[in-house]
Amino acid sequence: MNAAARLAEVRALRRRRPRDRFLRGSLTALSAFVLGAWWWGDFGLVRLFASGRFARIGAFLRDQVAPAPLREGEGWGAAAAWAAEAWRTMGYEAAWRTLAIALAAMALAGVLAACVAPLASGALMTCDPFVPNTRHSTVCHVGWVVLRSLARLGAVLMRAVPEYVWAFLLLGLLGPTAWPAVLALAVHNGGILGRLGADTFENVPSGVPAALRSLGADRRQLLFAALLPTTFPRHLLFFFYRLETCVREATVLGMLGIVSLGYWVMEARARFRYDEMVFLVLLGVVLVLLADVASHLARRFAERSGPDHRGR
Amino acid sequence: MSTRPAVPPSRPLLGRRTVLVAAILALGAVSGLAVGLRPADLVPHGRGWELTLEFLAAALRPALDHEAVSVPPGTPAFPLQVGAALLRTVAYALAAMSLAVVAAAPLALLASGAWWRGRGRLGSGVRWAVRGLVVVLRSVHELLWAVLFLAAFGLSPATGLLALALPYAGTLAKVWSEILDEADPRPAAALEALGATPLTRFLFGILPVALPDVSAYAFYRLECCVRSAAVLGFFGIPTIGFLIARSFENLHYREVWAQLWALVAVVLVLEGWSARLRRRFVA
Repeated sequence: MNAAARLAEVRALRRRRPRDRFLRGSLTALSAFVLGAWWWGDFGLVRLFASGRFARIGAFLRDQVAPAPLREGEGWGAAAAWAAEAWRTMGYEAAWRTLAIALAAMALAGVLAACVAPLASGALMTCDPFVPNTRHSTVCHVGWVVLRSLARLGAVLMRAVPEYVWAFLLLGLLGPTAWPAVLALAVHNGGILGRLGADTFENVPSGVPAALRSLGADRRQLLFAALLPTTFPRHLLFFFYRLETCVREATVLGMLGIVSLGYWVMEARARFRYDEMVFLVLLGVVLVLLADVASHLARRFAERSGPDHRGR
Repeated sequence: MSTRPAVPPSRPLLGRRTVLVAAILALGAVSGLAVGLRPADLVPHGRGWELTLEFLAAALRPALDHEAVSVPPGTPAFPLQVGAALLRTVAYALAAMSLAVVAAAPLALLASGAWWRGRGRLGSGVRWAVRGLVVVLRSVHELLWAVLFLAAFGLSPATGLLALALPYAGTLAKVWSEILDEADPRPAAALEALGATPLTRFLFGILPVALPDVSAYAFYRLECCVRSAAVLGFFGIPTIGFLIARSFENLHYREVWAQLWALVAVVLVLEGWSARLRRRFVA
């Protein structure tokens, strides 16, 4: 076979490659949307870089962000004392309050998700769960679909609204306690965990639950004896994955005036103490890192805490 | 043949799982007490009750027109105003994500073990430096980036865009590098055995295996980015959050719900689209 024939063969292969119209359409649409966004949005990114304002960043870091003792030439010892003082007066309280808000919110989110997940899962919310090929009335079918969809809609609403917006709204209604922050984080994460939990229940292989069902188990028994035990490690994985994001989000809710890290960030900004502000932002980085490591360890523990199903 | 009596498998009274769940709940309760959560504070005081009931009732009757008796001349009709703010929210998310994708691709490559395998001390040094950068980019929340930019340059559409793009680039780079590292190594090993250069090995051995997960994750983050862009409105960027804050402060709860439902609808559309894409990739 000569080179030309070989090339023709390759071209024929290329023409016959599998193509998916939906994928290609999506890609084209997405590219068009991105171009449209840049064209219509007029963000002025080029102007920002061209305006020379970025050139000021060096001066800003030197004159505003560098810790006060360093700026006044008092050396690193004085800077360390400054950092210790900032930790004592603001950092310590900001750190533990942020973590406590995140932990309380996640416990509450877990409870919310435990209520939502079974109600939103198609595995349990049908006329006759885990019995194949049964005939039942349209009323029964539609009724369960409506119930299940309501629970799903609830979960969607809970998570589609950002935490910060929930916290803002709740702050207006409940007043300045820690509740708005905790509830906002709990509602958003509860929605996410509830939906993930419902999907997990739906992906359980039907063997164990069908066996229990044939022995006459009801929905509650199916949930607690079949669905939950087989999927428990996966729920824990999702929980600890969200815990990390929750700490990250808890740092900023304080900007609304609720007492978490963000509150002290805004307070330092209001005093034009940019060195303290950046110190607090870096403290936030440390908190998120700690949560990251803790959630990593906890997920490894969860993976070992029992047999997972092989679905998904 | 002797029949043994059926012995149920022994089960500790307090299993590992029970202890774990109890510990999480206890830790949550202790944390709640520490920050001063009292059930009594959950009940709104005085006029708070009326407002709360009014707010909840408004969920079922979202506004279709401005609630204020008179609006300044030249104000667009309410649905148009909400639609434009939503479009701007999506535009911010798309532009920020396109920046984030461009920045994250090289970072993910440099942070992944798959790229640096067998390249000595220099390689792992670069890898850990890039990982550190990615961690800092990602751990600072987009709103904290926004406040930092606000202090340094003032908040403009451009700095708002950067505030979104930086943490999203960090998250994308982190997850993408994990996906690259978890990809099946055998195609790349086969190419290497045939004498492929590292670049060929990566482009034709690793990338095609990882691409479905890589794009599915980017799409999921686009949905998150729409939410973040909405929140940026609270800092004066004219996305939907700007309208939500203003309507809520004017006690126009029906307007707030119209805006919330509109945001929910956009998130739902994106989610449906990305779920369908993911199914195509997996199939």
